Amino acid sequence: MLALKDIQVFNQQEALISPFSATIENGTILAVMGPSGIGKSTLLAYLADSLPAGMNGKGEIWLNDKPLNPLPAEKRQLGLLQQAPLLFPHMSVEENIRFALPSNSPKHQRRELTMQSLASVGLSEHANKLPQHLSGGQQARLALARTLSSQPNALLLDEPFSKLDQSLRTDMRKLVLLAVKEHNIPAILVTHDPEDATAISHDTCYLSPAP
Amino acid sequence: MLLPSFGFEPAFSRYELTLDHWLALGSQPEFWSGLWLSGSSGIIATLLSYWFASSLLVLCYHRSWFQRFQSAITPILSIPHAAITIGLLFLLSPSGWLIRFISPWLSGWDRPPNLLTTQDPYGITLILALVVKEMPYLLFALLAAISQLNPNAHITTARVLGYDRTSAWHFVVLPRLYELIRLPIFIVLAFNLTVVDVASIIGPNTPSTLAVTLLRWFNDPSLSMRGLASAAAIALTMVVLGVMIGWHLAAKTLISYRHYEALRGDRKTPFRWLTTVGAIGAACTIVMTALTLLILPLWAFAKRWRFPDTFPSTWTFDNISRASRSLIELSTQSLTLAFTSTTIALVLSLILLEKERHTDLSRSHTQRLLYIPIILPQVTLLFGVQVSLLWLNLNGTWYSVAALHTFYSLPYVYLTLKSPYLAYDQAYLDQANRLKPLKWRNFFMIKLAMLKAPLFATFAIGFSVSMAQYLPTLMAGEGRITTLTTEAVTRAASGDRKLVSIMALMQAIMPLCIFALAMLLPRYWTPIRLTIRKRMC
Repeated sequence: MLALKDIQVFNQQEALISPFSATIENGTILAVMGPSGIGKSTLLAYLADSLPAGMNGKGEIWLNDKPLNPLPAEKRQLGLLQQAPLLFPHMSVEENIRFALPSNSPKHQRRELTMQSLASVGLSEHANKLPQHLSGGQQARLALARTLSSQPNALLLDEPFSKLDQSLRTDMRKLVLLAVKEHNIPAILVTHDPEDATAISHDTCYLSPAP
Repeated sequence: MLLPSFGFEPAFSRYELTLDHWLALGSQPEFWSGLWLSGSSGIIATLLSYWFASSLLVLCYHRSWFQRFQSAITPILSIPHAAITIGLLFLLSPSGWLIRFISPWLSGWDRPPNLLTTQDPYGITLILALVVKEMPYLLFALLAAISQLNPNAHITTARVLGYDRTSAWHFVVLPRLYELIRLPIFIVLAFNLTVVDVASIIGPNTPSTLAVTLLRWFNDPSLSMRGLASAAAIALTMVVLGVMIGWHLAAKTLISYRHYEALRGDRKTPFRWLTTVGAIGAACTIVMTALTLLILPLWAFAKRWRFPDTFPSTWTFDNISRASRSLIELSTQSLTLAFTSTTIALVLSLILLEKERHTDLSRSHTQRLLYIPIILPQVTLLFGVQVSLLWLNLNGTWYSVAALHTFYSLPYVYLTLKSPYLAYDQAYLDQANRLKPLKWRNFFMIKLAMLKAPLFATFAIGFSVSMAQYLPTLMAGEGRITTLTTEAVTRAASGDRKLVSIMALMQAIMPLCIFALAMLLPRYWTPIRLTIRKRMC
């Protein structure tokens, strides 16, 4: 369960949104809507501790009843999926997954886990290609598989469907919903597309600009 | 160059081929010790420079002050290395500034200690001087390359996957970054292995580095030494190529090992303290550069500066006024050479780039040819050039010096101008040509005018390259053409610190001024032009 209390984000000292609170149960998706430029991505960046220089935020973040605020990005165990798939171009498809697998998974299992993960998004036969040789839809699926391979405790989705065409978008939504249910983790989806919200979210809320 | 080393010297009417020079070279103890010194100092200096620069990047790239820091260090690049080396010599020598700082209260010395702090036989100060020169250059190259890589997004991705910032850099960014800066690293490697001026100012002598030794052999009046020098020059080129191949293989191995480590999923890279130490080294290097730039004006305006005093006791302008005649002469020579050669290099680059815009085929060929002057050792190449100049009876003329300066600034000018020039949106010019059918006028008034900023910046770089040239001026000018640089280097060891500082200072100030102008002029050009127009109407 992911709980957010009075989250606010700032550009320099100027508040972007009015305080925002929400609770997301495991296995459900909360859609956060709002016009572009209001600070939706900044909100997710604050949750993931990856704010760009000059931006900052405040408010409590609780994941499974533990506070995340004191932890740096790499210790938060959140999965972040962005508009751009940001696949590492110097690693093959399969290596991108292996890079994400936790180090405690035993050696003989790593290969197996990788192939399972690729199979789950239908990329098994592309394992040894470079990510830049995949189609846009395949890249998006690989990014999702990579995020899930790191076994996150919650999923942050930053308009991950916006660059895909209509049919791919429907497929990706199904995959994401399935993954959230299967891993039984909470997810936040920020979007300005109402269709995203109605298609897969269990709850929707709207961000309002700071007064 | 190759032929004389086997005894074939048409300039001296020798046409038979022998291996004598090579055998003589092998039996010279100075050759082997010089080879060892050149190799060790060149490789270590390059390693340190890369280590420092990349560590600084890893630890500080995300900080908010880094942007400002970046623009603050850029002008350092334009300062000729001879000037920095001379400053470093005055900083580190037994009677230098650092020892004055701690004397006599800490060290107890009231006269310069009998220590070899500079020109030490192991080449430690030489390595230091090379790092001070090359670390900022590599940092600059890394920064230029990194803008193509979108590092922040990839680092965030890796961090969200559980890797800390340093590991994210090592696994995700640096392997790709290295590919992009391989050429700058090879340039640094070639420079460090073969540099003459820095090594003769601050490097060990008897034995000195191979490049310095072979220059001495080459200038030896006896002809047999010339053959020896040719053979040594070829040997030096082989060493440079060998070290580059070795470096490349070592880097490949290291990168694939890193790759293997990354895929194991370990969230931490080993030896993380190396990054911290490297960043501290980088900070020290920058402080050192700042100190060397401070000490030059101190000496230039000092009247009395006795040993343990930290600062001169009396100041004067006499040093400058006394030397003003020769200073004006040397500066004029330096300036005319720099302006002429850079302008020619700029025009040539424009022609090459305009050609390149139309054909994709010529690209690889021109580029490869242009790398020759920056990758091949200057000493080797210039011996060959000098032999040809002698043959054509052009040695010692101003024109041949200017031509060589052009030859050496052309690659830098071309490479700097290339990406902004090719990125220009040709639609503006096409539109202009449709509006007004004056092709040449439009080319200048529209295209070049819009490319003002990169053109000026490129000019500043070419200018500072020309200002820094020591060996080409010396070899083609044969002592008849002297510049600030050749005089400062020749006199560095003379002990006349005041005069040498003035020369080094002027050598540093001129490119800095041009750099500042190149930054400011394009910004204010149009406002100034419009005000002038308004006044005239």
